[in-house]
Amino acid sequence: MFLAFKEMARAKVRFALLVAAIALLVFLILFQQSLQNGLITGFIGAIREQSAPVLVYSVDGQRVIQGSVITPPLEELVRTAPGAGEVGRIGQGTFTGVPSGNGDGETFDVTVIGYELASDGEGIGAPSEVIDGRLPAGDGEAVVSDADVPLGFGIGDTVTLQPGGTTIEIVGVAANAQLNVSPTLFASYDTYVDAVKSVNPDAGDPLPNVLGVIPADGFSPAEAVVSVNDQSLDLDALTRDDAAAETPGVAQVQQSFNIIFLLYGLVVPCVTGLFFLIVTFQKANSLTLLRAIGAPAGRLVTSLLIQVVVIIGAGLLIGTLLYFPVSQQALGGVALSFETGAVVFWSVLLLTLGVLSSLVAARRVLRIDPIEATTGQGVGA
Amino acid sequence: MKLALVELRRRPGRFATATVILTLIAILLMFLGSLLDGLIASSTGAIRAQDADAIVYSDTAQASFVRSRIEPDVRAAVEAVDGVTQVGGIGNVQLGARIPGNGPRDLAGVALFGYEIAPSDVPAPPPDGQAWADEVLKADGVEEGMTIELGPARSPIEIVGFVSDTSFNGQGSLWASPETWREVLSANRPDAQLGPDVWQGLVVRGDGDDLPARIDAATDGATETFTVSGAIDAIPGVSEQSATFNQIIGVTIAIALVVIGLFFALLTVERTSLYGVLKALGAKSATIFSGLVVQAIAVTAIASLVAGALVVVLDLLIPPGSIPLLVTPTRLVTSTLLLVIAAVLGCAFSLRRVLRIDPASAIGTTS
Repeated sequence: MFLAFKEMARAKVRFALLVAAIALLVFLILFQQSLQNGLITGFIGAIREQSAPVLVYSVDGQRVIQGSVITPPLEELVRTAPGAGEVGRIGQGTFTGVPSGNGDGETFDVTVIGYELASDGEGIGAPSEVIDGRLPAGDGEAVVSDADVPLGFGIGDTVTLQPGGTTIEIVGVAANAQLNVSPTLFASYDTYVDAVKSVNPDAGDPLPNVLGVIPADGFSPAEAVVSVNDQSLDLDALTRDDAAAETPGVAQVQQSFNIIFLLYGLVVPCVTGLFFLIVTFQKANSLTLLRAIGAPAGRLVTSLLIQVVVIIGAGLLIGTLLYFPVSQQALGGVALSFETGAVVFWSVLLLTLGVLSSLVAARRVLRIDPIEATTGQGVGA
Repeated sequence: MKLALVELRRRPGRFATATVILTLIAILLMFLGSLLDGLIASSTGAIRAQDADAIVYSDTAQASFVRSRIEPDVRAAVEAVDGVTQVGGIGNVQLGARIPGNGPRDLAGVALFGYEIAPSDVPAPPPDGQAWADEVLKADGVEEGMTIELGPARSPIEIVGFVSDTSFNGQGSLWASPETWREVLSANRPDAQLGPDVWQGLVVRGDGDDLPARIDAATDGATETFTVSGAIDAIPGVSEQSATFNQIIGVTIAIALVVIGLFFALLTVERTSLYGVLKALGAKSATIFSGLVVQAIAVTAIASLVAGALVVVLDLLIPPGSIPLLVTPTRLVTSTLLLVIAAVLGCAFSLRRVLRIDPASAIGTTS
């Protein structure tokens, strides 16, 4: 161990370069992990966090809420499906909104999700859980996603939709409930209809975009899905989780990031393995001499592995420290968060891969024949 | 320099690992860049194709067609602006399309545009009920002469031919007459229908760099006008995507720089005594260092070549409609050039070490 640290202290630049490379890679991997999760949460969080166990789209909507339109005949078919218990209308639109809480008077793309309010403020499609404030009790009130609060969408603030001037007051906050990576308001269905008509005087009566369904007694959500889909080829019922996962774009985002993670994950062990292999070659003569004067091979390998663990550990630590402040920011409307699970996962994986990659160098060390000290040859021979 | 190339040729194994690592980094760079290009192209093609000097939205639309309404009086004000030579209305609606031969639940996403001024490489509006289709829709089974049905109202549209690079919001576009667009919009999205002569946007041809500003002034701020490139950047998410990807690409290049620096620094340490001998024989530091740079460029070029080929293969393997990858020669060349610059800069780590080598150290060395 003494040997390992002494060597590192005397060749600071080369070991520092390796630490820097690993730290940058770790930072990038963790940053992109946060970006991926933030993107997906911002994209479909509202679907995950709403209360309807089953969402029914029209096939035409292709699993995009705003693209789906439920015509009256389709709505009737859903309501009469054996697996459907309670059914509620849900409408969604994107508007230009100005929150009163934003001192700069900035305008935002605001998503309004309208659901039919029950007398207690609950309703099918309401946010499952409000972490601050309350659910809307009537028209003109809304719950907002927590990621939107810093943008000026706090409780007590109002959002004015343009043009038309419809005003919605924020009365509650739900966690991770954005849609389309934009400020998202859960309001009454009538508030949504008013919003549509106020921005477009030519608009006809908007039809619901999707229907929220609570399965009938004796039906699981999956069974209710089958029951509704059996009613018509134009209906596309999905459980809440499936609706979130199968929103167009989600799978593509995950596939793209997985390829990126795979490539970055391969670079780390390659860099580490290459570095220690070259270093082992460079100090071949010294290692041979050490073996000749009685140093056991195991000790030399241990020294190598200690260096690997320390270097990767330092890279992980610095990379994580770089990642921490970045993970507290929002990036282009995407709220990032510190992913502890990702830090642990990647630390274990990269450390394991790094140690494995250094086994090539360790094998070289084990092959050293002390007798070569008398011939001037080492592992590099 | 010749010595460096001879070493590369005779002992390629010495450079193999670095080449593999650089290949991985080059793949990353090219993949990230191509992904960005694909995302941007699939979102902005319809705007990029506009043969116009300005695109006009209503002031609160945030550069979104579906949120924009241009009333006839606003259009008249735009037409009266000094220097404006031509004004055409434009609008779109995004719907699911039923393609003959596909399953009843297997719909293609399309963006139907109604237009008065034809974009580049798009013919004049066809007769009502017909449309030009973007060729990306061929992957969904769309063919010339076919009639597809749009939206829940099953509005029939006959495809009369194909155009290219006009996708919008990740969907293949259809280009139809204004009447066809209005009819399809009203039938399928009553909440988005517009009155007679009301448009979602205007495409304007005219003179002067300040044309957008003059238009907005003439409408008393009722409009927000962009150049075509400005309209592309204003599409929600485009600039954010570009900034994020470019930052990631930048850090990846920095990693390449560090990796190359590390590799050649180690190589230099390994060959210190040999360089001592070369210096003793009269070789200059500049000669030795330029040899390192040549090796770095050669290794980077080989890695980039392999990476480019692999990214092209990856592009061919990815099924249409999944990952929006757009591999272009420009992107591959740009990534290679960036890596070469990183390689040269990375070599600079070794410069100090090369300069420090004392020719006298050659005396008594064994290797």
